[in-house]
Amino acid sequence: MANLGVADTPRTTSGGQGRIRRALSAREAGVFVALILMCAFLAVSTDAFLSSRNLLNVGRQISLLGIMAVGMTFVLIAAEVDLSVGSTYALSGLMTGILIVQQWALLPAILVGLALGGLVGFLNGVLSTYGKLPSFITTLGMMSIVRGVALLITNGEPVTVNASSGANGDTLSQFFWIGQGSLFGQIPMQLVFFIVIAFLGWIVLSFTTFGFRVYAVGGGLKAARVSGIKVFSVKIWAFIIMGVLSGLAGILSLAFLPSGQAGRTGVGLELDVIAATIVGGASLSGGEGTMLGTILGVLIIGVLRNGLILLGISPFWQTTIIGLVIIVAVAIDKWTTSRRAG
Amino acid sequence: MQHLRRLHFGLVMILIFVLGGVAMAQDGEFVLAERIQEKIASGEPLTIYVSYHDVSNEFAPFIRAGVEQAAEELGVDAQFVGPVGADADAQVAELETLLETADGIAISSVSTDALAPIIDRALEAGVPVVTFNTDNPESNRLAFAGQDLVQSGREAGELMADVLGGEGQVIITTLDAAAQWSIDRETGAREALANYPGIEVVTTVNTGTEPQQIYASIENAMLANPEVDGILSLECCSTPAAGEFVQRNNLLDSVKVVGFDLLPATIELVQSGAVAATIDQAPERQGFEAVNMLVMFLGGEPVSNVDTGVGIYTQENIADVAEASS
Repeated sequence: MANLGVADTPRTTSGGQGRIRRALSAREAGVFVALILMCAFLAVSTDAFLSSRNLLNVGRQISLLGIMAVGMTFVLIAAEVDLSVGSTYALSGLMTGILIVQQWALLPAILVGLALGGLVGFLNGVLSTYGKLPSFITTLGMMSIVRGVALLITNGEPVTVNASSGANGDTLSQFFWIGQGSLFGQIPMQLVFFIVIAFLGWIVLSFTTFGFRVYAVGGGLKAARVSGIKVFSVKIWAFIIMGVLSGLAGILSLAFLPSGQAGRTGVGLELDVIAATIVGGASLSGGEGTMLGTILGVLIIGVLRNGLILLGISPFWQTTIIGLVIIVAVAIDKWTTSRRAG
Repeated sequence: MQHLRRLHFGLVMILIFVLGGVAMAQDGEFVLAERIQEKIASGEPLTIYVSYHDVSNEFAPFIRAGVEQAAEELGVDAQFVGPVGADADAQVAELETLLETADGIAISSVSTDALAPIIDRALEAGVPVVTFNTDNPESNRLAFAGQDLVQSGREAGELMADVLGGEGQVIITTLDAAAQWSIDRETGAREALANYPGIEVVTTVNTGTEPQQIYASIENAMLANPEVDGILSLECCSTPAAGEFVQRNNLLDSVKVVGFDLLPATIELVQSGAVAATIDQAPERQGFEAVNMLVMFLGGEPVSNVDTGVGIYTQENIADVAEASS
């Protein structure tokens, strides 16, 4: 799959896309500066912020959001959107939990969870392409369907994965290790997963034919079709990646806090994921966005949330401020882009 | 036949008289709808709707179990309904739809203000309404079955003061600081803690309802306030999260957790000592009493508030429920 030449050449040779690329790197630089300023401010105003414990906490707290934002980057660049990710996160995690409680081995239980996520993504993709429905509608419906299925299979009762729930002891300790363990006794496993997935996402998006096609499909449907790209298949794969990553995040979530509940787990997560991805520079109209930008966006949201709590700011203000940051980040980008273009 | 019919008629008249008397005592104007009077007279099974404020939360299965038990024991058609997710508009809309067919309604309100008008409307239409779990004091509901929330908050505050030995800094955690039940319990808890000059309530942490966010909020709040000696959780779901936090960071000796309810995760944390004490509110009984009160009322008996009580569990007595649940 890795094909540096194919991925890079067409984008730099066409004038329009070259301009987009310059704008994007300016956008990333802007987000990066904003992040540094935020960190500097927090470092000065509260002692706790720069402590290694807090930084690792932040790293862990953004990981699940980050893993899903990697998937959302593909979907948004392909000019689609996925609102069902929070529900998929709940369904996959709870399903894996139920199987572990029923004494399944870890790997098959996780694979079923991931496959369920992939299936939701596949359905989203097919309905949004061959089914001719806008993905906003498809995934809005799917958000509700998947949440309902999660409630049905759990009967609304919390799924608790622990020794007294009947799970196998070895499976349990492996499961808890992927959610609660740490690498070298320091780096939380969730963060390790995020780093690996972000890296893979970056490779796929920036250096493979598939990544190039995702940009092409989102940048201009007709042009992509004329140049022989199977537009529908590219979009469906973007949704499948999103679904599997939502499932993975949900499984890691249950491995970290071994009790989930279908009515609450992952509710409202889709908005956080979309917000982080958009702050990082992806556009709802497609064709724009980078993996580096998304990671910066996720960091902004994570540091902001952590910082507001460390500063002891009222929870109602926290909600307000996060909303303002989303609007300001996108507004600054739009205004500077139109100035550059004009 | 003629004779029987006359007897029925007589019974109905007596019933109406008694009901009227009860209603007058409660409210001054409640009159049972004719359609329901006829139904009682004909001996058809009564249709009762129990509308819970979020049928997808942790408690819903327990309350539903109580409702189903009541339906079976009392021989009525009791249905457990309510919105998925605490959605006031959805709860009101559903009740509006059910109003025509209901012979009695029990309501646990998403929001006092939002639900009070529909409760009063149902009463004006002659459908008896009681409240359970979360009361609606702004409405003219006939009676309430559940925990006195302010009182349960006071109990939690007392427990906290007790495990801390009357000295220390406390943070309060809640899923939704602006919800009525949370405000009530917080009021009670702060009231109780205020009696101990050695105890300071540092802050109230609004954790949100998503499990990862709950844990992260507690983690961040503890980092911002490293001196904290006690975490007082006001509900089911930040209780196990606080316990997990204490257990994972080896703070069993320095940070005490007092919380609510008996989720499986909470039971385990009480056993391990990471949660010092938890207060149960007997959700099955709340569901049962909701139906029972309506059946009693429709049968002409007077109804008054039922306090479903406060059950306190610590490491010493948690084995009772741990065995029962497994």
